[in-house]
Amino acid sequence: MLRTNASQLVEFAVHGRVWPARGDALDYRTTSGGHGATHVGQAGICFTHRIGDPAFGWEADHLEPGVSIRHPDDGDEHALHYLACMGNEAIVTGGAAVGARGTVTGEHAHILIDFPPEEIELLAIGDPIMIRSIGTGLKLLDHPDVICHKVSPRLLEALDLDTNADGKLEIGVVTEIPSHLMGSGAELMADYVDQDFMTGDREEIAELGLDRLRLGDIVAVRDQDHGWGRGFLPGAITIGLIIHGDSAWTGHGPGVLDLFSSRSGAIAPRPAPDQNIAQRLGLRTPEELAVHQPGAHVSSYATRI
Amino acid sequence: MSDNRSQLVGVAVQGAIVSPQLPALPASPYIIGADGSPALLPPPGGIVYNVAVGDSAFGWVADMVQPGVSIGAPSASNPALRGLACIGNDAIVVNGRARGARGTVTGKSGRFAEHVIIHFNEPVLEQLALGDGILIRAIGRGLALADAAEVQLKSLSPALLDALEVERGESGEVIVPVMGEVPAVLMGAGSGLSSEAGCVQIQTDDAAAVSKYGLDGLRLGDVVALKDYDCRWGNGFVENATTIGVVVHGDSLRGGHGPGVTPIMTAVGNRIRPEVVAARNIAELLGLRLGVDAAA
Repeated sequence: MLRTNASQLVEFAVHGRVWPARGDALDYRTTSGGHGATHVGQAGICFTHRIGDPAFGWEADHLEPGVSIRHPDDGDEHALHYLACMGNEAIVTGGAAVGARGTVTGEHAHILIDFPPEEIELLAIGDPIMIRSIGTGLKLLDHPDVICHKVSPRLLEALDLDTNADGKLEIGVVTEIPSHLMGSGAELMADYVDQDFMTGDREEIAELGLDRLRLGDIVAVRDQDHGWGRGFLPGAITIGLIIHGDSAWTGHGPGVLDLFSSRSGAIAPRPAPDQNIAQRLGLRTPEELAVHQPGAHVSSYATRI
Repeated sequence: MSDNRSQLVGVAVQGAIVSPQLPALPASPYIIGADGSPALLPPPGGIVYNVAVGDSAFGWVADMVQPGVSIGAPSASNPALRGLACIGNDAIVVNGRARGARGTVTGKSGRFAEHVIIHFNEPVLEQLALGDGILIRAIGRGLALADAAEVQLKSLSPALLDALEVERGESGEVIVPVMGEVPAVLMGAGSGLSSEAGCVQIQTDDAAAVSKYGLDGLRLGDVVALKDYDCRWGNGFVENATTIGVVVHGDSLRGGHGPGVTPIMTAVGNRIRPEVVAARNIAELLGLRLGVDAAA
């Protein structure tokens, strides 16, 4: 059992609205292969894909699973961004789905929330959604060299962490992503959105098996220090969560949201092929996850390079 | 002691539950502690589910946590909301799922937050949403004790005045039971600002000093005395001035910051005499959370 400061954390509300996809979703943007493409996949309500589905193979760019929310006012919007934690409870506070409850599964251009399918049917663009935020400031008392980002106490418990014989934080990960693949988002603070891993070299991605990743998978990135900013540092290690899907754009790909980082390398990842938050948080059953198998599809942009 | 409450006018002021605020890029969301270390912490505001008036003012992983619900109004009407709301006033939810529910004003926060802080019972908190409208039946502005015009009352409802059990001393001074006394040397952020609508903070960078003055057990809602501190026409040091205030928000890592105290009584020339008692908290005094004094 890990000792934490969870009893000192404050639980409070942040909020947003189901956010529409904007007109620029239809603008052509150039893929890394030099082709024009539209980029559906962000914002709004995604009726077809949820956390736990494959991160690759869809005709979508930066696919945001479930419901995407943001807030029109800067101060509220950035509180929502910085303070919503993975695994937090979301509550619909107006509209036909009032009272429905979901779970925060990502922070990208929007805050991403998973709802059961019957609630998705009742939601509309503009519906207000409030998040009961808890997790900001979480500390692992026996691992002072590990910084936590956006880890709710609920997610912490679900990930089943341990301390290994060397005193390092042991955590199950689906795979490891080499540091040189880390791309868009390097310029941002570690507590703001995610960092994409770059999928432009389709051969390397396939060799590493990264095209088998699912939304919601836990991964390790060695030699990356994501304590306060994001950068290459030999010996450092970061643990992340795959929050959005693949991309056609140079320097982009599925998003890795920082969960834990250690400059001194005080985290020991161990292989755990089913370390996915959709299952760990009880959002989806193994049977549901079996419907879409990684590798069943290849995005058209991944074949036109 | 008698007062002029029969002459006071009760008016409605109204605000909405405000979200915590963090700045847009490229500004940093990290605050820098007095020791130079950065931290990302929940800022004040919104709906706080697990910290209520009567709980400790220290130890929370948050910046200046405001217990319960914090409301604000658009800039043109926020000064009236904050200026007229008094601690102990009734608050009523006017829309949303908790419409009709009632709460109690427990404080007002200072610069950079500028909210009115309200206690609601837990079942009401569960039903509230950010943006819900809350009306305050404001009464207390202009309240004065008979024959003690030199003692200014502010942000003080008649209900809280009754609960404070103030008495007149032998030389005419006003005696007020308090949980503790804060020396002027510890008064920090808020000095130099108005005394009517916000709070002034007990700085806690020197933990040993906080402990030495018996303030490390401070709770949200505690009634305290600020020694040699004048809040008549602004907040500042004046020898032999005394201010009585209520602890309204929690501690902070920022230099010069700490638990906030909303002034409710102030006078110069030792005309207020605080009397330190074991426990003195508005959660108990106003019947918001009975038993918190016993737990202290």
